[in-house]
Parts: sequence; structure tokens; C-alpha cells
Amino acid sequence: MELKKTQTKAFSNLIASIVLLAFELWAWIQSGKIKTAKNAAVQPSTFPRIMIIGMTIFTVVLLIQSIIKLSSMKAGDPLAAKAESLNFIKDKGVLSALIVILLCCVYVYFFKSLGYVVVSALLSGIVMWMIGLRKPAPLLLVSTLVPLGVWLVFYKFLSVNIPMGVLQFLRDLVDKI
Amino acid sequence: MDWNLLFSSYSNVFLDPTVLLMTLLGAVGGVLLGAIPGMTATMGVALLIPFSFGMDLIPSVGLLLGIYCGGMYGGSISAILIHAPGTPSAAATLLDGYPMAQKGEAGKALSVAMFSSFCGGVIGALIMTFLSPLVAKVAMKFTSAEMLMLAVFGLSVIISISGKSIAKGLISAFFGMLLCTIGLDPTYSKQRFTFGVTSLKGGLSFIPVLIGLFAVAEVIAGVERIIAGRESAQAKSTEKITRVLPDGKTIKQIWPNILSGGIIGTFIGAIPGAGGDIAVFVSYAFNKGVSKNPEKWGTGIPNGVAATESANNGCSGGAMIPLLSLGVPGDSVTAILLGAFIMKGIQPGPMMYVSELPTVYKVFAALMLANLAMLIVGCAGVRVFAKIVSLEKRMLYPIILVVSLLGAFSINKNVFDVGVCVAFGVIGWLMNKYEFPLSPILLALILGPMCEQNFVRFMDLNHGDFGQIIHYPIAIGFFVVAVGVVIYSLINQQKINKREKDALAKAGVGDVSFTQE
Repeated sequence: MELKKTQTKAFSNLIASIVLLAFELWAWIQSGKIKTAKNAAVQPSTFPRIMIIGMTIFTVVLLIQSIIKLSSMKAGDPLAAKAESLNFIKDKGVLSALIVILLCCVYVYFFKSLGYVVVSALLSGIVMWMIGLRKPAPLLLVSTLVPLGVWLVFYKFLSVNIPMGVLQFLRDLVDKI
Repeated sequence: MDWNLLFSSYSNVFLDPTVLLMTLLGAVGGVLLGAIPGMTATMGVALLIPFSFGMDLIPSVGLLLGIYCGGMYGGSISAILIHAPGTPSAAATLLDGYPMAQKGEAGKALSVAMFSSFCGGVIGALIMTFLSPLVAKVAMKFTSAEMLMLAVFGLSVIISISGKSIAKGLISAFFGMLLCTIGLDPTYSKQRFTFGVTSLKGGLSFIPVLIGLFAVAEVIAGVERIIAGRESAQAKSTEKITRVLPDGKTIKQIWPNILSGGIIGTFIGAIPGAGGDIAVFVSYAFNKGVSKNPEKWGTGIPNGVAATESANNGCSGGAMIPLLSLGVPGDSVTAILLGAFIMKGIQPGPMMYVSELPTVYKVFAALMLANLAMLIVGCAGVRVFAKIVSLEKRMLYPIILVVSLLGAFSINKNVFDVGVCVAFGVIGWLMNKYEFPLSPILLALILGPMCEQNFVRFMDLNHGDFGQIIHYPIAIGFFVVAVGVVIYSLINQQKINKREKDALAKAGVGDVSFTQE
């Protein structure tokens, strides 16, 4: 099997360590914006900074390990195995994962206005359809009854007030019963 | 000890139908509540305390302890079955519980969790009965120095749960500790990494982060695997559950973990401010450290489940020790129980052992009964709970997703937490994909605040001189053990990596040629 070095786990570690170093630099700059406390033995920014330094040290270790591995890669090395891809054009699996993430973001956005039951029915219905449940009856039943049942348990028995949005009348109905 | 009084108190409690019924009801409620991600035993106790107003003291204590013990076990059900711990105390159960379920041993994992929870609870109740004044005395000697080093000891397990790459494990751990610093600084209330977002002032809520990292990330990865053809959407568990309790062979294998977990849990539970979430990781670290086969931990072995589940239920007994003997609650549930005692006109504290000794013994008996009730409810439910994993994946994943997101919302009734949950779902998915272990983040999120608060407190008390720690022998003891665990884990991990490398070379993985870009 022929593999490009850029497809190996060692290369993905290299990219990850560069991304992490950028994050750590950003976090360090942000930690400088934390206000100081008077007469404090330990400033509010001390602990986060210790954590950033710790994270950076091991990111550098990972970076060096990746560079050494890439320059002297041998057969049998676990880091020579093929890395997972994030290419959503070539990999349908990645594309579907990104769609689920996007759907979750839409879910959060409409959670309050449409209400839990509606957004959950839509989200679970679409995900079920995506992963192969195409029979309309089980798809519709499961995607609507599960969120409805869960809402009922949380609202009636656990007293958790969940946004119902357009289905507000259901709460009034349950309250009357 | 007045043995006659002790026995008569136990028999009074065990033969009182009202106490039996209330404790059993509490256990049913606790198991169900605990199994729902986002619902904790504390919430259950708080929710049901108004119902206990009209009852006598012991039935109401039975009800509340039933919820407490049931909730501790209930949390493990969702951790084992859907990779989402129902309660923070079940966070470490997923390390071995979920891999067991993935191997088709969900029923076995549940029965081990239940049996270990029961045994841990009984160990806690026994220690509470016979040693409570002594344990309370030692626990109350814990100052910020001992608490800091206890947290350091808990963190020493990071190396051994880091998997193949220690560097990646430590990056995850430091990232987790950094996440703990978001919000108002606990000592001086200065804003840190809040970026003007009001919802971030209180910091990241633990449960939404936990649900996101484990449950939501698992759903995203599961959908990816199904679409890419690496997992069947119709995969069903074929495990046949012939018995609800572990067999003799398994019990023989796990009893040392149960015993040590129960003792560790009881002692940590007795320290005010330290609860089941901390005890489970300390117990996991200890049991893995002394195991002959540490490389098997985290791959789905019953020992891992037993070590954590016995520890979190052991805490229930431990937390009662400072409550009864000193009037200081060991955790949030016992704080609510303290309120219940005061409402009934009983003031817990040293004098309770003089003026209210029969009541003290009845509380011991109620805790024992609560553990028994949890076992009965657990036995009745194992087969039903295990059926969850035999659901079609194309139905199971979407259901997990919407239930998990609601669990994230229910903690603070805040949509922001649902967003946090989704964001950490994405982070968890990416971390899994690129082999950054998630467990160190979990550990850091639990122990990070304890570590920082006690570090700051210790430094303030000692005018910034950390060297003063040498005057705290218990703290030094914890530190020495932590260093020992780290060295042992490092040596061990090297051995594991070498063995895996040899196995891969033999199998021909990585036997590839490389082309230059």
C-alpha cells in the first residue's frame, strides 16, 4: 500500500500541534487581559497561565515527536498508519457528521422560538432519515413521540420548565388535566 | 457501642412497612433520575424534600437516602449504555463500562455496577456505623494543603488514562484545567475568559460539557461511521442475560476493587467538599496502579466498573459521617438532609451521639436499607435497561441526541448550555478523530476547581510561600503516592506501547511505502 506522508497520523499530529500552539498563544494574550487583585499572593491570571504553559510544553513535545517521526518513518510504526480525514468532499461520512453539527447549531438557534418538541422532532427525524430509516410510519412516530414523551416526563414529573414555542397550548392542556 | 440499641434500631427500621415502602420508592426514583443525563441525585433529593415534610423523620430519611443511593447507581446506567454519565459521580464508570457495552457485555457491566454499588454502599454504611467519630476526626484535619494534594493525587491518574500518547493526554488535561478557569475567579471575582458573555460568568457548567464531550460526540461519530459503512445501522446486541447479579468468577475477580473502592469512597465522602465525582477517579487511579494488568484498564473490564461504582456509593456513607458527628454536611445531598433533620427538631453534631443515639442508629439502618432497596430495584431493571443497546442504531442515535441536549438544558434551564453541549460535542468528535483522549479533560474538569481553590487558599494563608507544604505530613503523603503513581504509569505505558508496536509490526499494519509530496 502506498501512502503519502501527509496522510499519516504523524502528519495529522503535526497539524494538530500547530493549531494548538496558535490557540495557546491566543489564550496567553487573553490571560493578559484578566484584571489583577490587590495584595493577592496568587493573581487571578496565575492559575490559567500555569495551565497554558503546561499545555504549550506538551504541544511542543508532540510537535517534535511528529517531526522526528515524519523524517524517519518506519514500517510498523503506529504513527505511520493512515490518519482520519476531514475532507467532506471525498468522505461521505465526514460530510454527514458536518451536517449533523450544522443541524445541531440550527437546533440551538430555534430551541426557544419553536420549542423543544418541534426542533427535536425535526432533528431526530432528519438524522434518522440520513442514517437509513426510510419507513414513514416508524420515522414519524419515533421522532415525534420520543421528544413529546421526554418533555412530558421532564415537565410533569421533574418540574423542569422546557420552552414549548409553537406548541405552548400543549402545556396549558397538560396543566388543565 | 451499645449493641442492644444498635440491633433494636436496625430491626425497627427493617420491620417498619412505611420505612420499607418509602425507601423502595426513593430507590426507584433515584435510579430513574440518575439514569437521565443532566439529572443528579441532589436534584432528586431537592425535588422530593417537600413530600417528606409530612412524614416522620426515619421514613423521610429513608426516602431521601433511597434517592441518593439509587441516583448514584442510576448514573452508571447511561454511562455504560449510551456513553453519557447520568451524574458526575458516574463519570469514571464510562471508562470501562462503555467499552464493555460495545463488546456486547452491557448486561454484565450493569450487573457489576449494581453489585459494586451495593457493596460500596454497605461498606460505607458499616464504616459509618462503627467508625464515624474516628473518621470524622481525621477528615476534619484536612486543610487546603491536604485538599490540594488530594486533588494532585487524583490528577496523577492522567498518565494512565492517556492511552497511546502521554503528550496528548497531558494536553487534554491542561486544556480541561484551563476550561475550569472560565468565569469569575473564585477568590477575587475577577472575570476570566468571559468575553463579555454574561452566561460565561458562572463558568462552564460541568454536565453540558460532559454530555457534549461524550454523548453528542458519540452520536456525531456514530452517524459518520454508519454513512461511511464502518458500522451497521441495524447492529443489535446479542447478549443473553441469564443472571442479574455477577457470577462467582466475576465476583472473585472484582472483590478487591470493590473493597478498596468502598473504603476510598467512604473516606473521601467524609471530607467536606469532596464527593463521589472525586472519589471515583481516586479509586480508579489506585486500583489501576496496583493492578497486575493495568494495560487492560479502559478496554472494558469489570474491575474498572467495580472500582468506580463501589467508590461513589461508598461516598453516601462517608458523607453522612461529618453530618451526624459534626453537623457539617459532606456534600450537597447531605446538606439537604441537614435541613430535613433541623426541620424535625434534631440538630446533628457531636451531641447527637449523646442525646439522640437511637436516631443515629436508625439513620445508619436506613442507609443500609437504602442500599438494599437500590439492589432490588437494580436487579429488577437490569434486563430492561440492557435492552436499550439492542435498539437499532438508526433510532438509538437520534434519541440519544435529543435526550442529551435536553439534559444539558435542564441543569440551568438555559439555552446557552445547549450551545455549550453542541460545541463540546464537536470538540469531542475532533479529539476522538485525532486520538486526543477525552477522559483527562473529564478528570481535569472535576479536580481543576478543587485544585485551584485550595492552591490559592494555601498560598494566601502562607503569604505566597509554597515551601510551607512540608509542614503538612498528610499532604506530603498524598504527594509521594501521586509521584509514585506517575512513575509507575510512565514505565507501564512504555511497556504497553512497545507491546502494541510489536503486535502491529507482526500484523503488518504500517507496512507501507511513503511517497514524497
